[in-house]
Order: sequence, then structure tokens, then C-alpha cells
Amino acid sequence: MIQSSTSKPQKRPTKGAGLPSSTTQKWLSLLNNDSSRAVILQAIVLMLVLFGLWFLFANASENLNRLGMTFGFDFLQVTAGFNISWSLIPYDPGMTYWRVFLVGIVNTLILSFCVIVVGTLIGTVVGILRLSDNPLVSQLARWYVEVVRNVPLLIQIIFWFTVVFSTLPAPRQSYHLGEWLFLNNRGLYVMTMESTLSWGWIVVLGLALIAALYGLFRWSKPYYTLSGSRSTGFYIGLVVWALAACWAIWSLSNSTSLSVPTLQGFNFSGGAFLPASFGAAFVAMTVYRSAAIAETVRAGMQSIDRGQHEAAFTIGFSRVQSLRLILIPQAIRSIIPPMTNSWLAATKDSSLAVAIGFPELVSVFMQTSMNQTGRAIEIIFMVMGFYIFISLLISYLLNKYNDSVQYKVR
Amino acid sequence: MDDLNVKNQPALKQFVPTPPRPPRKSEKGIFGTIRHRCFNSIGNSLLTLCVATVLFYLVKHVLDWAVFNAVFIADNRRQCMDISPDGACWAGVISWFNGLIYGRFPVDEQWRVNIGVLLGLVWLLPLMSKRIALRNFILLSWIGLYPFVGAYLFLGGRFGEELGLVHGAMTCLALAFLTIIYANWILSSLGKKGLNELFVPLVSRLVERRIHLLSFVAVWLLVALVIASGLSQVSLEPVPIERWGGLFLTFIIAGFAITMAIPVGVILALGRRSKLPVIHWLSMTVIELVRSVPLITVLFMAVTLLPIFLPADMEFNKLTQVLVAVCLFAGAYMAENIRGGLQAIPKGQYEAAATLGLGYLHTMVLIILPQALRMMIPNIMTSFISLLKDTTLVSIIGLFDIMLMARNIANDKDWVGMHTEPLVMISVLFFILCYSMSQYSLNLEKRLKVDR
Repeated sequence: MIQSSTSKPQKRPTKGAGLPSSTTQKWLSLLNNDSSRAVILQAIVLMLVLFGLWFLFANASENLNRLGMTFGFDFLQVTAGFNISWSLIPYDPGMTYWRVFLVGIVNTLILSFCVIVVGTLIGTVVGILRLSDNPLVSQLARWYVEVVRNVPLLIQIIFWFTVVFSTLPAPRQSYHLGEWLFLNNRGLYVMTMESTLSWGWIVVLGLALIAALYGLFRWSKPYYTLSGSRSTGFYIGLVVWALAACWAIWSLSNSTSLSVPTLQGFNFSGGAFLPASFGAAFVAMTVYRSAAIAETVRAGMQSIDRGQHEAAFTIGFSRVQSLRLILIPQAIRSIIPPMTNSWLAATKDSSLAVAIGFPELVSVFMQTSMNQTGRAIEIIFMVMGFYIFISLLISYLLNKYNDSVQYKVR
Repeated sequence: MDDLNVKNQPALKQFVPTPPRPPRKSEKGIFGTIRHRCFNSIGNSLLTLCVATVLFYLVKHVLDWAVFNAVFIADNRRQCMDISPDGACWAGVISWFNGLIYGRFPVDEQWRVNIGVLLGLVWLLPLMSKRIALRNFILLSWIGLYPFVGAYLFLGGRFGEELGLVHGAMTCLALAFLTIIYANWILSSLGKKGLNELFVPLVSRLVERRIHLLSFVAVWLLVALVIASGLSQVSLEPVPIERWGGLFLTFIIAGFAITMAIPVGVILALGRRSKLPVIHWLSMTVIELVRSVPLITVLFMAVTLLPIFLPADMEFNKLTQVLVAVCLFAGAYMAENIRGGLQAIPKGQYEAAATLGLGYLHTMVLIILPQALRMMIPNIMTSFISLLKDTTLVSIIGLFDIMLMARNIANDKDWVGMHTEPLVMISVLFFILCYSMSQYSLNLEKRLKVDR
């Protein structure tokens, strides 16, 4: 191949020397010039892409005409008319497809949020256990990770749904914890509090209490670091805070009533409800994600120099102390980028819950709504747009955080 | 400086490390190790005992269910229940085993699947030989030519009737290539020249340049003609694509994705690193868009949008649509792996290639890509494993891969409601496949480290 490429320039002048027409030479020199060649190549590629797009859209408009369909987002205002088995925001069949889209988004987000939080916690613990000195513990953690990682997530989701959650007893014989938690093959029923106060006020109150406590600690910190003991002002503040908290709880309990799930006919009413499909998807995805995160954490911990372990041990830190103060703060730098990818993957994987009928975005919008309206292009555009938006958002936020924890090089 | 060193030398004592003390007696041997690592403190001892107890009961229950109380021979699920109510009913899985492997492929034609898969493996076998001519083209031909042979075997039909003429010609060429490679292998082990050199004396009289290439083409066409005349005599029973299924279909999708991922990934990765803005932005858009959406939406898109966006008279089966989607998806992920490899190549390599007078294509194909791909082999293997796992998603859009076949057992009237055993069975199968792949990749990683 090298020979052929070197022989070309030698031959070309002898061939073209007989008839040197000025126009062909001009074109040849254009082709041999790097910058003009780049322009020509890009123009060709751009034209091909534009032609491809035109071809696709021409076909699409022709096919849509033939099938008597139109393109547009007006269907979002049409009443959906189908029921969704579980929704966090209020929904009934009389609402529009736009509402269906929102329900799907909220369900997807809540599922992936739960998976990310619990999966990260379990994954971190398993990842640290894998580095344990105790061979039994580290091997157990290792095989947990290997088994979970090497079986497809879809199989695991369906396994948890059909083998575990669907074989739970019927509502009448459900497992229960006192009167406030019932578990059966339909899902989980939990007692809730219903307040006459609006939720917004309760959240604001709670946040204000937490902020006050945090402020108290921040305020007393300089004295504490200097003297090693708390000032009197701190204790007075603490008592005031406790009184305020007691008042808040007392006033809240006056205005709230308990909503207890009770068996009526074949089903429960009252309380909060989580369907079995949510449980199965949540457990399977959490287990799967925790294995992936355990690997990330282990790799991050192993990337720390062994001397750091030994130094921490030498100055008398316990294992927990050395993990908390020495190892994890260093490991987090190399853990964050793969962890970001893992969280993104968790968000994307939540779409697999469609296989067991959990009403997330793909299920309610890409399947049910698409079958009913036939607006394939618009719906796929919207769903993909949502996922792309989420991906970009998470990676943007975590890149920001990543920048703040990396070593500062001045 | 030298003087100074010499002067100082007598004053310096050479550092002699004290030899490490041997481990204490209590830490020696198996029991010592166990005591030292599992029972060195009260907390650790409790932990060990807890883990050991949990492990014991877990293993005991699993073994009881899967082996000791299991039923291997029964006619239906009721019979299984009668024999052993709390054990696995493997009889159902065994009676459906053929379906799990071949899907609904006609039983009389299943030998073709075996032959096809075997042929795919046999195709790669000459890679073990170091001296064989055309060795570099074996992998390339496996990507470019083997699919035609496979499709011919799996689809069946006569050339020019059920099967297109182009497809038939490509099948013959592919088989001819395989024949030449094997003939070359045998000839080279006998110490003779390859089959493709047969016409060199004849060709060298007629033309001056590219003698070896022309000779190879002549031999190739000749062998292909012989094979074509042979193949036109036989006719295989046509099998519609809808009847493909089971592990066989899973392998087809995964194999196609794996083989197409590299070329698509290389093109996208090179495009993303290109200095031409149009190509750079196009590749980057494709990669980022595909990577930020879940595979299931890409599959749905392929199934619903391809018929809309392509001419109405183009006939599509579901498998083709899925293959297009999976190929795009795998390519985008592979592109990022390859880009990582490309970024790790030192700039000196590009400059050296430029100094030698190599153009862009030659620099990439001969210098950069071989190094980048080699560096990224562990990552590429990891993507292959996740691709194999992801193929189960095609069951959601209704292709009868091993996943859907396994779920279908519960709908069989003899085995109604049997969910656990088929799922466990395919989980074990996937575990074995993926685990061995990951161990192989670890092994490869170690070997590559040693090489460098």
C-alpha cells in the first residue's frame, strides 16, 4: 500500500504531460490543495446529509398523506381517555395527552431517583466490603457483584416481578406490620398523614427548622474549635430550637389525621400505594446499579496509594476514621466521573420497567399513547428529547461538582 | 561534581535493609491465616459467623431447590408438583430446550443453524496460524463476507428465486474465500506458496502492475464459479425470518452488533476527531444523541419510524429494523471507546507518519488505529458484554429471542405458570457467557500489559 501511494505522484506528471489543458490542471491543483480539499469534502458530506434528510422527509410526508395522518402537536390537547395504574401527580382518564406525558416523566424521575439514591448507598458499602481483609466478606461482595453484573437487567426485572412480587399473598392474606403497612401481590400500602395545612407550609416549616439548627452549629463553631467545648449561648439556642420544634410538631399533629389502609372488598383503600411493578423495578434496578457502583467505588479506592492506608493506620485512626477522613475524600475524585455515567445509565435503564407494565414514560407515552393516536414522529421526538435533556442536565451538574472537588492547581 | 562525589563516597554507608521478619507462628498455615483474617477481633468474628450462617442457608436452599428436590423427568407441571412440590421443575425447561436454542426454526432444518454457527467459528480458526497468506483479511472477510453465507444457510431458498442473485454471488465469493484461506493454510504448512499465487506466471506475461492482486482475483473468481455451479444444484428449504428465535436469534443480533460496532465506531470516532468542522459536529451530534437515549427508545424508533421515513414500497421485517437500530447504538458507544484510544496515542506517532509521507488514510489505517484498538481491547470487550446483555431488550418489541421464548414457556398449557425455572436457566446461561467473556478480557488486559 505504501508503494502504491508513492508511485502515484511519480506517474501523474508523465501521464498528464502530453495534454496539459489549463482547466484540468486548475482542478487538479484544487484537489491537491489541503484547504480547498477540506472545503470540497465538507460540502460533499453536507450535501449528502441534506439530501438524506430531504429524502427522509419527502418519504415521511408522502407516507403520512397516503395514510391520511397529519403532523403536529395538537394531539397533546386531546383527552387521553385511558387509565394509568399509578401516578404521583393527580391524573384521571379525562385529562389530556400532555398530562399523560407529565405523568410518565414524573414516574420515570421518581423511579430513577429512588434507584440512584439507594443504589449508590448499597453500592458504596459493597464496594468497600470488597476491599475487606476478611476473605469471607470480600468474596461474598465479589460474587454478589459478579452475579448481578453478568445477568441482563431485563431478566432481573422480570425475575423480581414474576417470581417474587407476583407470588406474594392476595390482599386478604397480605403481610402486614401492625395496621400501617400492608404488602401483597398488588403492591405496598402504607399509612400516611393527611393534613389540613397545605403541604407547601409543612415543607417550609421543616426546612426552616433544619436551617435554624444548621445556623446554630455554624455560629457556635469558632468557639468550639478554639475551646473544645460549647458555649452557653449554644445550649440556650438548642433549648429554644427544641421548644420551637415541639411546637411545630404539636400544631402539626393537631391539624393532621392518619389515613390507614383498610381492606374493602378485594382491595385496600386509604393510605399511600406503591404498585408491585414499582417494587420489582426498583429492587431489580437498585441491585443492578449497586453492583455497577460497587465496581466504581472499588476501582476508586484501589487507585489510592497504599501508603495512605498505612499512614492513617500509623497515626492511630480506626478503619472507619481512615475511610471517612483520609481515603474517601481522595477516592471521590476518581470516582465521580464513572459515577456520573452510572447515574445516567440508571435514568436510561428506568425505561426497562416498561417490560413489567410500570407506567413510566416509555410505557404510557411511547406505547399506549402512540397506539391510540398514531403520532409516532411527534411522540418519539418528545420522549427522546426528554431523555437527552435529562442526560445533558445531569452531566452538566456533575461536571460542575466534579470541577469543585478536583485538586486545585494554581 | 564528580570530585565531590568521590570525596564523599567513603563517608556514605551503603544501605542494607534488614531482612523481613517471618510471620508469627500463629499466622502461618491455613488455620493461622483464617484465625488472623477472620477472627482477629470480636467484631470481625461476629461478622464472619453471621456471613457464614447466611451463606450456608443460602447455598443450602438454592441447592435443595435446584438439585436435591428438583424434578427432571415429568410430562407436565402438575406431575412435577405431585412429585416434589418445593423443588425446581427442570422437566419443563428440558422439554422446551430445543425452542430456547433454535426458537421456532423447523426441526428438520436445524442442522443448518449448527453448520452456520460452526462455519463462523471455523472461519476464524486460521487466525491461530501466524504465517498464513492473507491473514490480515480474515477478520475483514468475517465481517464483510461471512454474513452472506450465514444468511444463505439460515434463510434457505434457491439462487435467483427466493434468494437474490447478488446475495447468491456474494455467498459463492465468501465460500470461495474460505476455501482459499484453508487451502493456503494447508499449503503453507507444507511449505508451499499459497493458492492465490497460482496464476502469477500467467498474469505477469500479460500485465506489468498488480500481478499478485490480479492473480488472487482470478483464483477467487474461478473457485467461486466452481462453488456456484455446485450450489445451484442444491436447494435448501426456505425458512421465513419470523421463525428465527431463541439463543440463535440472540447470537445473530449480538454478533451483528459486535461486528458492525467496530467499523461504525471507527468512522464516528475519526469523524469526531476530525479538524473539519462539518464532519466533527455531525459525528459528535450522532454520538451524543444516540448515547443519551435508552436503547429501548431507539428500538421503538426503528420499528415505528423506519417504515414512515423510507419509501412505501420498501419491505422491512422487524429483524432488519432491529439490526439497524442496534448497529447505530453499538457504533455510538464503540466510537467513544475508540476515541479514548485515539486520544492516548502520542502526537509523535502522527508526526512520524507525516514525516514518512503517509496521507491521512494510510496514517490512520497503518499507524494509529492498530495501536488505538489494541489499547482499548479491554474496554471494547466490556462494551461487547453489555451489548450481549442488551440484546434481551428486543423481546420487548416482540422478537422471539431467548428471553421471550423463556417467558413463553409459562403460556404453554402443559407448563402453565412456570416462570422461575426458565428465567433461572437463561440467567445462568447469560452469566456463563458474560462471565467467561469478562475473565477473558481481564486475561487479555494482563497479557497486553506484559507486552508493553
